[in-house]
Amino acid sequence: MKKNVYVYLLLLPGLIILLLFLAVPLFSTVFRTFQGDEGLTLTKYIAFFKDSYDRGVYIRTLKLALLTTLIAVILGFPTSYYISRVSRRVRGLYIIFAVFPLLTSPVVRSFSWMVILGKNGIINSTLLKLNLIEEPLRLLYNEFSIVIGLVYLFLPLMIMSLVGVMENIDEDLIEAAESLGATRREVFARVIFPLSIPGLIVGSVLVFTGSITAYTTPQLLGGSNTTVLATLIYQNAMSLFDWDSASVVATIMILTTVFVTFLINKLSSRLNA
Amino acid sequence: MKGKGKFLTLFALLVYFFLIIPLIIITGAAFGTDEFLKFPPRGFSLKWLANIFKVEMFVRTFKISLEIAVLGTVLALLVGIPAAYGLSRYDFVGKNFLQGFFLSPVLVPGIVFGFSLLNFLVIKYEMPVYTSLLVGHTVIIMPYIIRVISSSLENFDYSIEEAAISLGASKLKTFFVIVLPNIASGVIAAFILAFINSFNNVPVSIFLTGPGISTLPIQMMSYVEYYFDPTIAALSVVLMAMTIILMFIIEKTLGLSYFTK
Amino acid sequence: MALLSLKDISVAYGKNVVLKNLNLDVEKGELVSLLGPSGCGKTTTLRLIGGFVEAKNGRFVFNGKDYTKIPVHKRNFGFVFQNYALFPHLTVFDNVAFGLKQRNIPKNEIKKRVMEILETVGLKDYADRSPRELSGGQKQRVALARALVIQPDLLLLDEPLSNLDAKLRVKMRLEIRKIQQEYNITAIYVTHDQEECFSISDRVAVMNNGVIEQLDTPQKIYNLPRTEFVANFVGFENFIELELEAKKIDGGFYKLKNSQRFKVTHFNGREDERYVKGAIRPEEIDILNEGGEKETNTLKGIIGISTFLGKHYQYVVETEVGRLLVNGSAHKRYVKGERVTLYFPEDKIVLV
Repeated sequence: MKKNVYVYLLLLPGLIILLLFLAVPLFSTVFRTFQGDEGLTLTKYIAFFKDSYDRGVYIRTLKLALLTTLIAVILGFPTSYYISRVSRRVRGLYIIFAVFPLLTSPVVRSFSWMVILGKNGIINSTLLKLNLIEEPLRLLYNEFSIVIGLVYLFLPLMIMSLVGVMENIDEDLIEAAESLGATRREVFARVIFPLSIPGLIVGSVLVFTGSITAYTTPQLLGGSNTTVLATLIYQNAMSLFDWDSASVVATIMILTTVFVTFLINKLSSRLNA
Repeated sequence: MKGKGKFLTLFALLVYFFLIIPLIIITGAAFGTDEFLKFPPRGFSLKWLANIFKVEMFVRTFKISLEIAVLGTVLALLVGIPAAYGLSRYDFVGKNFLQGFFLSPVLVPGIVFGFSLLNFLVIKYEMPVYTSLLVGHTVIIMPYIIRVISSSLENFDYSIEEAAISLGASKLKTFFVIVLPNIASGVIAAFILAFINSFNNVPVSIFLTGPGISTLPIQMMSYVEYYFDPTIAALSVVLMAMTIILMFIIEKTLGLSYFTK
Repeated sequence: MALLSLKDISVAYGKNVVLKNLNLDVEKGELVSLLGPSGCGKTTTLRLIGGFVEAKNGRFVFNGKDYTKIPVHKRNFGFVFQNYALFPHLTVFDNVAFGLKQRNIPKNEIKKRVMEILETVGLKDYADRSPRELSGGQKQRVALARALVIQPDLLLLDEPLSNLDAKLRVKMRLEIRKIQQEYNITAIYVTHDQEECFSISDRVAVMNNGVIEQLDTPQKIYNLPRTEFVANFVGFENFIELELEAKKIDGGFYKLKNSQRFKVTHFNGREDERYVKGAIRPEEIDILNEGGEKETNTLKGIIGISTFLGKHYQYVVETEVGRLLVNGSAHKRYVKGERVTLYFPEDKIVLV
């Protein structure tokens, strides 16, 4: 590779756009949260965590994200392992069907669950027809429907991350373990699982941070008492016009995603050591 | 093929059933005759598909979404291609940092970014909403452009470029005649990916709406809050058809295996 | 009775038949090589024995028991892979200990056995390294140690040296042979390298198109190939069609296409066949000067293209029975178009 001063000229237009329209606006959002009457202060954060409603929203967000990540791992791991071991052509097919939802509008994807879980949705109408229930179940606008929507939203990401790592696990390693006396289960526990950890880390970070910051799904599938951080920012800003509170929630969201990403990466490097 | 039992096969199929069935249900619901969303639908009609075009807001926001996505992608390509070229071709002080900086928009929560743009650009500096929406989208799709173009430049043999220069072509001309044609499929793929991400975006756009300005996904969200008829399902089918076409182009240019990297 | 026998084994992937009614017997303590060009079925045979490939029909009997349906992990065979297949997430020690842990052996015993075998392969000081930090030769040793430490009933090696450079290959094959004899392990070794194969094996099975063409000692394979394919494979590049005229105690007399007569000392088991081919290496044919004609075993020819091979010149010689390859001394070069007489020593012709 060459050394060249002109390279900065190539980067300059992009840099200006990112600085002016990403870095500065974000900084101003974060900065105002620490601004008090007498210099810098943490009072707004203290107020946020003292408020039981706000605290509840924060804990709910983390809880739903954690639940979503766990379910995505449980569903994604065996599926990805299966995909990584089928023939190249079949694998291509599975990848198409995972990428397709990924590229489809999140509004469409969340909406489809409204059709399934709604009062007149498939599940309720089927159960009613079978006389298993007398009144439609409330399946929508609660934490349950948010988690389903988030799992549905992010499961393809988990599968992609895992397949990417698992398809590079050499078939020879599996055969080597078998020839040394390992049963199928032991091969999985002692060879495949440890080698899949990097994909698991990437997938978990993507799903967890994605769930913490998701707006569309909780907005459409959640109800008035299932507010999460993203919908809280929107409410504070657009309904209450409380810019300061919205900024505080926004900053907390950024700090949480950074912290969680850092934590998972730390955990993984300890696992590998 | 070893290592896949019947249980595993069944498990994978069930998970894929979960991934696909909602989209099939929505498609089915779009072609029913009922006034309310139902599945399985009764009868078959195209009236909901036709109804999309009767809802004036859908037609208008579709145009805006299209405009923003195309303009934003073109803008991002204009600044992104030189940046990607500079980042993969040369070595310089602060390269790693700048690489990270160019990819950073993907790490910023969209809802936070959208709010910040509203706060800073629209309220503080009174920038028009439409312009803010455009720059917001340009920023969020920048990482897709940089990543895809960089990965196609990785496969580009720079000795071809040197050969052209040694034959007397200027650096600028070499870029347009030699480099660009060789990464053309990468540029197309970057365009498509960026386009999809801009077109589907909700969290940034939701803050940047104003009188007469909104995007299609935002309009769809507010529609389902008040109406529950199959028009949205029909619109979803149209969007999915669009996704299929775009996916086909990605497969032909970049290959869908890109998503597992 | 043989320790291992494959009986009428056939393997096919779809319509593609890889092994056809293959039979093979291996005695205890032997090292048998499977030799052949790529696609001949040698690796498939090895993988079938290892349990990674299923036979369409036929039986695999090991130590008197039917192993055809025994799963891989119950066979207790050591397998050394072409690309080593070391577990990248485990240290050298844990790689070698892997098989012992499966067998629920106490920890201190595992430690003792792993260190012993690492000492044998000369890697005692590398126990805590990661496979990434090892050279190709060291990886090979770890792979070997990992397969040996479980005290396998059979050692299977799939082109274990093909990823190493030439010098290291020679060194490693001597080591493998030494260890195999020391531990008295029965081994099956797949390779496409003739020299490697001859130097290491008790017996060699030359394979072609899914069948074993010849199973013999390296000396017999090299000197007395039984089929045209084997002869060609070990360097007999000239084949002359012969017709039997008379059998004598000290050999047979054969007529060539041009009515010339050849005497051949060994029948190579083909004394009852009327039409045979005489195979001979280029370096065994003598070029005689004008006037040096003999009664039998000669052919007249015209020198064609010649190439210098270092030790000698190689000529393409046009004769009445076809084009032949002949090596001549490096001191004298025949020119194109020169008329010569070729002499075929009667004890150097092998009938196939």
